[in-house]
Amino acid sequence: MTTYSLDDSSVFVVIGSGAGGGVLSRELASRGHKVVCLEAGPRLTLGDIVNDETEMFNKLTWLDPRMATGKPDPRFPVWGCKTVGGTTMHWTGACPRFEPHEMRARSTYGDMPDTTLVDWPVSPEDMAPWYDKAEMRMGVTGTHGNPHLPPGNNYKVLEAGARKCGYTDMDTHNMAINSVARDGRPHCRQLGFCTSGCALGAKWSTLYTEIPAAEETGNFELRPGCMVTGLEVGEDGRIASVTYLHEGQSITQKARAVSIAGNVVETTRLLLNNRSERHPDGLANSSGLVGRNYMRHFTIQVMGVMPGKVHFYRQTHLAGVVRDERAHRPERGFAGGFLISTVPFTPEVLAKNMLVGGWGRDLTRVLDKYEYLAGMLLTGEDPPQHSNAITLHPEARDANGLPVPVIHYEDHPNTIAMKEYAWKAGRRIYEAMGAEEIVEMGDYIPATHNMGTARMGEDPKASVCTPYGRTHDVANLFVSDGSLFPTAGGCNPTLTIVALAMRQAQHIDGELRAGRL
Amino acid sequence: MVGADTHTGLARREVLRGIALGALLPALGGLAAPLHAAELDAEGPGERETSAALLRQMFPHAAFAPAFYDEMAGRYLEELAARPEALAEHRRGLALLDASYIAPFAQLPAVIQRALVARVDQEPFFTAYLMRGAELVYRDARVWDALGYEGSSVEYGGYLDRGFDDIDWLPGAGEMQ
Repeated sequence: MTTYSLDDSSVFVVIGSGAGGGVLSRELASRGHKVVCLEAGPRLTLGDIVNDETEMFNKLTWLDPRMATGKPDPRFPVWGCKTVGGTTMHWTGACPRFEPHEMRARSTYGDMPDTTLVDWPVSPEDMAPWYDKAEMRMGVTGTHGNPHLPPGNNYKVLEAGARKCGYTDMDTHNMAINSVARDGRPHCRQLGFCTSGCALGAKWSTLYTEIPAAEETGNFELRPGCMVTGLEVGEDGRIASVTYLHEGQSITQKARAVSIAGNVVETTRLLLNNRSERHPDGLANSSGLVGRNYMRHFTIQVMGVMPGKVHFYRQTHLAGVVRDERAHRPERGFAGGFLISTVPFTPEVLAKNMLVGGWGRDLTRVLDKYEYLAGMLLTGEDPPQHSNAITLHPEARDANGLPVPVIHYEDHPNTIAMKEYAWKAGRRIYEAMGAEEIVEMGDYIPATHNMGTARMGEDPKASVCTPYGRTHDVANLFVSDGSLFPTAGGCNPTLTIVALAMRQAQHIDGELRAGRL
Repeated sequence: MVGADTHTGLARREVLRGIALGALLPALGGLAAPLHAAELDAEGPGERETSAALLRQMFPHAAFAPAFYDEMAGRYLEELAARPEALAEHRRGLALLDASYIAPFAQLPAVIQRALVARVDQEPFFTAYLMRGAELVYRDARVWDALGYEGSSVEYGGYLDRGFDDIDWLPGAGEMQ
């Protein structure tokens, strides 16, 4: 196994090993660059993954203290993972691309009060080949010759109801879950525990794809259990070293360049917490936008008690999608759109979700029909708002002595209007199939879709990073996660994070070879 | 039937906004209760019986025997034994339910029990018991059997050959593939 000296100032340090960090690490290592990846969480094996949501929640989730103001529950305001693989361990595997109109949000949606809508600095045409590469890398079903996953019960109900409602654009979705054995991993066997880590490894996660591939290059060292606390700026204004905590010890690794891919909360905390004379408001924060424009998709649900048994837990969580409402049709009363897909719940999580609305027979008459339940998830675009922000608490410190992040988030009126429409659209689908009872549930649990807090753009005053994710202020510092997104689109972010990381890796490779890094 | 449920749907989204939403997640249950040390010694009559009857009002399933609710209530009280403040709060709440002057809560008809519970369902003791109770009840394998949830599947090779696509009641099934 390759190891690098702490004094080796030629290594590229990647912070985080998920969709952004894991992919960037492999891309750079496979191009011959020396990479050290620092991951706060442990390195699990497939043997650590069990079909038990509670056990896996505790194994995978970032549970260090966070605070909240505004809408989020202060006890769990944001969802991320602290494990090698990051949220690629928890994600459903859904791989929709951004739509062109979503990447041109400002031009398409026009003025939207109280938002910071912009067009992406990367065009849909520029992104297309990188989406292709990402889909090929991850083996996304329904793309590049990878067959779709087979339709299961929960999807069949959604599809039949959606067709009755006049929808036409639907299938078992583009999933980074093997429908056939490929890349040394087996095909999906419909375990039904996708978000608890895939015990078979059929779902793409960097833990058992990009990370071992990076190691095979001989140019890569993964250091799990390493919580980065500091980025030291040298006299030349560049990051000279990275300091992290490992088993209670503070360790400093010299670096040629650094990329942060810690998911938005940790990426924000690391930048804001590294203040100096040169960077009084935090690293790379001359724009004042680090932590600002925090976006998260709404993820609301509709459950239907159907006339026959569904057994909605017997398949992949996200077993299919209806795309017809994704388009921008302002006559619906909002800008942007949403996806309709399937979701199952265990009895426990369903009960806890429904408890928000009441107890007693209102609850148990639905649970008594558990075998008859179909479930859908509605996920929609969230416009960027300057006031939605991640900041650091002035006094509160966690066990590592780091300031506790404070998440502030409120729904924009556009989001509220879209949610109300989406609930009705979802309800219609199950009504069309003769549902005996329909339950609408809100976005009490945050999705792991975190975006926007280090947005990329051409103007250093209006963005944190360049269109390649390089910070405007520090020449050898990059960001490689969803923080880069200028807008959120109406779809799951991981495929775009991977595509951007692959594109960024090519840029970094060029800069390194040209001696500019 | 469906149209009449509009109100139910809205209610689910609005009513108990005060419940810790983070507690919805596995393993994040449990609410802090205010400290009232003076109430620590106020053990009510039939604490376990009242707790069991309350749990049954929270999660009434005809298929579950009274002994099941009693067992789960016992487990909850055991957990509270290590948290004196929470136990005191729980006892304070049980006393509210047992203070009807008709009969102890556990002996009241279900319809009266429901009305009494509705008066206390915003109390911290109630929301704490509701969330932890949901975990105790719906994490139990006997409950899964009763509800028809089959749980862990990896040891059986998943659901691929065990009914993941066996739905047979859809009108026109097969025509739309």
